[in-house]
Amino acid sequence: MRSEMNVRSLAVPGFFADVQALWAVVRREWTIFVRYPSWIIAMFIWPVIFPMGYILTARALSGIDGSGLTTFQNTTGLNEYVGYIAVGTMVWMWQNIVLWAVGYSLRNEQMRGTLESNWLSPTWRFAYLLGSSIPQMVSMFMLMLVSGLEYAFLFKVDFDGSLWLTLLVILAAIPSVYGLGFAFASVVITMKEANAFVFLVRGVVMIFCGITYPLAILPGWMQTVSQWLPQTYIIHAMRTAALSTEGFSAIAFDLKMLLLFGAFWLAVGYLLFSMMERRARQTGAIGQY
Amino acid sequence: MLDLAVEAHQLIKKFPARPGTGDKPLESGSASGPKKKRWQFWKKEPKAMFTAVNGVDIQIQRGEIFGLLGPNGAGKSTTIRMLCTLLEPTSGTARVNGYDIVKQANDVRRSLGTVLAGERSIYWKLTGRENLEYFAALYHIPAAVAKKRVDELIERMELKDRANELVEKYSTGMRQRIAIAKALLARPPILLLDEPTLGLDPQAARNLRELIAQLKQEGHTILLTTHYMEEADQLSDRIGIIDTGKVIALDTPAGLKRRIEQKEVIKLEVTGWHDELGDKLRSINGIENLMTRRQGEADLWEVNMQAHNSRTAIPRIVEHISGNGTRLVNMNIVKPSLEDVFIHLTGKALRD
Repeated sequence: MRSEMNVRSLAVPGFFADVQALWAVVRREWTIFVRYPSWIIAMFIWPVIFPMGYILTARALSGIDGSGLTTFQNTTGLNEYVGYIAVGTMVWMWQNIVLWAVGYSLRNEQMRGTLESNWLSPTWRFAYLLGSSIPQMVSMFMLMLVSGLEYAFLFKVDFDGSLWLTLLVILAAIPSVYGLGFAFASVVITMKEANAFVFLVRGVVMIFCGITYPLAILPGWMQTVSQWLPQTYIIHAMRTAALSTEGFSAIAFDLKMLLLFGAFWLAVGYLLFSMMERRARQTGAIGQY
Repeated sequence: MLDLAVEAHQLIKKFPARPGTGDKPLESGSASGPKKKRWQFWKKEPKAMFTAVNGVDIQIQRGEIFGLLGPNGAGKSTTIRMLCTLLEPTSGTARVNGYDIVKQANDVRRSLGTVLAGERSIYWKLTGRENLEYFAALYHIPAAVAKKRVDELIERMELKDRANELVEKYSTGMRQRIAIAKALLARPPILLLDEPTLGLDPQAARNLRELIAQLKQEGHTILLTTHYMEEADQLSDRIGIIDTGKVIALDTPAGLKRRIEQKEVIKLEVTGWHDELGDKLRSINGIENLMTRRQGEADLWEVNMQAHNSRTAIPRIVEHISGNGTRLVNMNIVKPSLEDVFIHLTGKALRD
């Protein structure tokens, strides 16, 4: 009985303890993120380099003087083809980065050997996934801001729309983009490797969601498929919000769809996480790498 | 019930046998056996199962250091992982600090401080202090209390001067000390230390053994797994020897050694060893459990064997070893150690 007298636990469990643990995961993830200097390249250089190939192709096809842009303007209702491509590719990059960063967050912990030591604590386990996603959201938001400024000043893109509506679109898009990331994270822990899935998803987004072209040019069946992908609504709503002056009513339907998709993908993400956690307890998958 | 810190009853854990890994499928998943019919090609074959832990019973008293010994693949890591809720048993029950490991898993986690995977269990891109502050939050220690506790543990682990450096700049011993400090953060009643001195230099290992003895004095119950017999002998109040998923012996170190005290251990050092020589020595009446181990890169072999009567065996041993390029370099007759008990019980050395 001596042990019970001398060893008194310092833990005070409860809701606030779990919130404190979630915040600790956020701080840990952010601290590690900024200690790898490569984030500067990802933040400042990649958003400009990635769309350049598409922009230069568009310039080649439209002619140096832009004489061939009339068809583009008639189809999209927009003059700003550089901004049009920049927004589309930005959404693609967002989903791509989330699939790699959030999707592989638990797997990276597993390979490092730290997943087990987190799993051994009494913290709500979804907090590890949620907490590692929040710094990712912040860095992604900074990336969007930086690339918006780069396009405005370096390429003279006119972002005529509303900053607030653009922010609203980003907020509405978060549940579906990250819900898919959560689902991926759970699949990756189970399968150990999911590169092929990431390539598949980002390929589908690239072709079906119109990151560099209007959906109107796609065959009918492809347009039908695109309606089932939340990224289609993100891209349309963000272009409308950032590049046009059409206002809230023009994006209201997109926002509604994004919230519906968000609820669906968050539920799928949480369900798959719970299944993975249960399965890992039976198979010992958490400690295998 | 509360007098026991850990209590496991008939714990069994089975995994699907993985092809090519050496898992021996002990049984099929189906009692009726596979009856493959062509028209059933879409049905899954019953999975062959591998039994990693096969009915482990352990009772650990509060305030006790319990050593769990076993060769690689014996089932000790699987047992530990079940007790700390990383794995669910296939059958059987276990309670840690009075909590059921399946139904009250979070209470079990709150009762345990665990060192698994040693230096890999902490973040190398964080400082030692940041690691401890992070894990303090995960173990639900209020921030103000955590700050004092982290300072206290940094001081105790003699890491005050290096606490604000990244862990990647630490030595293995320093990382291991942070991993142990992590386990102590919430001041849990039970500590589960899996190979805590693995990879440490002799001085660091000695310091750690002293720390473990102190933790016992402070009232912690400690479940310790180790490859080092001397460590288990020195620290443990009782030792469980696990092999092929079963606890095959459980007693105090002295009690275990008494089991073979009527035997003597003959230790030889020879050069020019060859396997046929082993067969010849095994054939000598009264010789058993012969083990050989090459010492470094040189052609020097350590040969240990147990004998009922060394006086009658030695002349025959010397007779066999002399000649054919084999030379006896050294010979000792010693009392059985815990390692000899282990060899006697399992037929293999701990580091096989």
